[in-house]
Amino acid sequence: MHDIERRALLKGAAAGALAFTVGGAEVLLTPRAARAQGVVLRTLSATQAATLDALGETLVPGARQAGISHFVDQQISIPAEEALLEARILNVRPPYANFYRAALGAVDRSSQALHGGREFAQLGEADQRTFVDGMRQNKIEGWQGPAGPFVYLLLRSDAVDVVYGTMDGYAALGIPYQPHIAPTRRW
Amino acid sequence: MANEKVDVVIVGAGASGSVFAAVLAKAGKKVVVLEQGPDWQLTDLISSDFWGRRIKPAGGPFLLEGKNPFGYVYQAGWGVGGAALHYFANFPRLLPNDFKIRSEHGRALDWPISYSDVAPYYDKVAQDVGVSGDAKAEEIWRPAGDPYPMPPMKTFRGGEAWRKGCEAVGIRLVPAAVGMNSTEYKGRPACIYDGWCHVGCPTGALANPLVTYLGDAKKAGAEVRPHATVTRVLTNPQGSKATAVEYYDARKERQVQEASAVVLAAWSAQNPRIMLNSATDRHPKGLGNASGLVGKYMMAHFSSGTWALFDEDVQNHLGTTGAQLMSYDRYGKTSQKGAFGSSFIVAGSALKTSDLGGFANARLDLFGPELTAFMKRAARGLTRIGAFGEELPNIENRVELVGDKDEFGMPLAKIVHSFDQDAVALWNANFEEGLKIAKATDAKEVWSARGNMPTIHLMGGTIMGSEAGNSVTNSYGQTHELPNLYVAGPGIFATAGASNPTYTILALSLRGAEQLTKSWSTVAG
Repeated sequence: MHDIERRALLKGAAAGALAFTVGGAEVLLTPRAARAQGVVLRTLSATQAATLDALGETLVPGARQAGISHFVDQQISIPAEEALLEARILNVRPPYANFYRAALGAVDRSSQALHGGREFAQLGEADQRTFVDGMRQNKIEGWQGPAGPFVYLLLRSDAVDVVYGTMDGYAALGIPYQPHIAPTRRW
Repeated sequence: MANEKVDVVIVGAGASGSVFAAVLAKAGKKVVVLEQGPDWQLTDLISSDFWGRRIKPAGGPFLLEGKNPFGYVYQAGWGVGGAALHYFANFPRLLPNDFKIRSEHGRALDWPISYSDVAPYYDKVAQDVGVSGDAKAEEIWRPAGDPYPMPPMKTFRGGEAWRKGCEAVGIRLVPAAVGMNSTEYKGRPACIYDGWCHVGCPTGALANPLVTYLGDAKKAGAEVRPHATVTRVLTNPQGSKATAVEYYDARKERQVQEASAVVLAAWSAQNPRIMLNSATDRHPKGLGNASGLVGKYMMAHFSSGTWALFDEDVQNHLGTTGAQLMSYDRYGKTSQKGAFGSSFIVAGSALKTSDLGGFANARLDLFGPELTAFMKRAARGLTRIGAFGEELPNIENRVELVGDKDEFGMPLAKIVHSFDQDAVALWNANFEEGLKIAKATDAKEVWSARGNMPTIHLMGGTIMGSEAGNSVTNSYGQTHELPNLYVAGPGIFATAGASNPTYTILALSLRGAEQLTKSWSTVAG
């Protein structure tokens, strides 16, 4: 069988996009679409989502619009064995929500301590970059929470996932995605 | 609840358990395979780094301790097919020098067998599952054997670009031996080089258990029960034979499966956990543990990777996740000055954007606009060479039960793991050589992929040996203390070598399964 035909055949067996709750019903959406439609977050607070959006955008430009907060929120709201987070393969112990709450809390506490009470999302771009670089190198004084370099690694991975790990992300880089079984909705 | 007694119960539906299941079912034995995770099908293997994480554990029962905690989840399996559902299918062999390190160098351990005992099984496995490569080319480093059933895989610029650098330091590259189809084989299609091996190959081109031994086992009548979490091996009152396993089913109800023989093929760390949790009055330290060695000598590989960024398009979206080219030229135990242990070199793999092996992680220090710029360049010009290094067995690297328990009341375990100075020295030496190689290519930029020292391919914990005093099993995986209790998988390796372990796992499992079949009446009758 020709390669292209085989791919097309297998594509028919594709399964699963992410399930978001809209108006009380579960619908399959990409995180980008969930963000665009203003889907209500299930687990993250508005403050946590704002911090995650700002961190994601600082780490990987485009992560905010790609729906990093909706991605993480949806993923930490489902059973761990269904989760698609990189936390899973980085040996984070479930429930994953605990890690994100602790990490985002640590970021905001340190930001407030260093910047006169302002949370990370309220900082200017330059301060956000400096903060993230300090977190990466474990150089933020008074940091309390999961190790800064690990928080950097994991949140950067989430941001890379939503920006570059999707079929759209591959297309933006000009790389053929070449699926055997394509994820639905380009996810 | 008791189930009808069977001939063999196998714990784990991964690479090694599948071999035992196939051999024994074909021999007419009634076989049940208990698998902790879901019953994955080929159609579940979606080409996506996100979805590929579903076939790995979500928080295992292991706490990680030591200077170099064993980050195992990326490499671990969860469900039917086990880790071999998403392995890279690199199929290098161990070499003769792996089997007699103690005799030849006065350190580490000897295996109770030699390369010549395993070599026929490498050849059999190659025919069974389909291996592509150039056996003749490999024979500059190892004794001759059968040719592989398929010619080598295609190579791409991302692999070929390393030849010049390797030649500069005297390293010969040959086609990588892989458990993949370069041509159609046994009705399974040829690989189409899309680079999604690491999230599971649904086409059948890669020799995962579903399309090889486990498929054969099912055809021969073996039953696979998913969502079956084994907690103990049960024995007769005398403690002389295994009689059953205790497990919890999908409804979390306790079950007992009686069998004439038990094969533990759960995983290097999970097998000791089950054996230690199976302690009785007759086996107060755990089954097969009179020597105190169950859970001891856990070993890992480590990798020294080097990146090279070319201006040209190196076709890095094409190929397989594993490697295009390989070399044993640093496999001698004293190849690297000031270090000890083998190194196995692989070059050129297909790259994806995200996940641990994605090229976004090639420069972990970059973020923001600098990462964006890097991603655009790397998308076409990045390639990697790597050297796996050998960790020597150290009794302090171990699995132990701890006080906390899982949902079934089974104690969690901790894996304590630290690399010693030999390993660190070898890791560093391989980085230095990797940079020399890279600088001798036509790359624009080169750098080492240094980070925390990685732990790859967990082995040991139930090592084989010549007698009960120095090991847990014999060379067939048969425990010294209970003749009808076998252990399968990399846990029985006495030393780690530097080669990817699955080919050896399959070969040793085939050898063990054939021995069990041949000696059935004395072992399990």
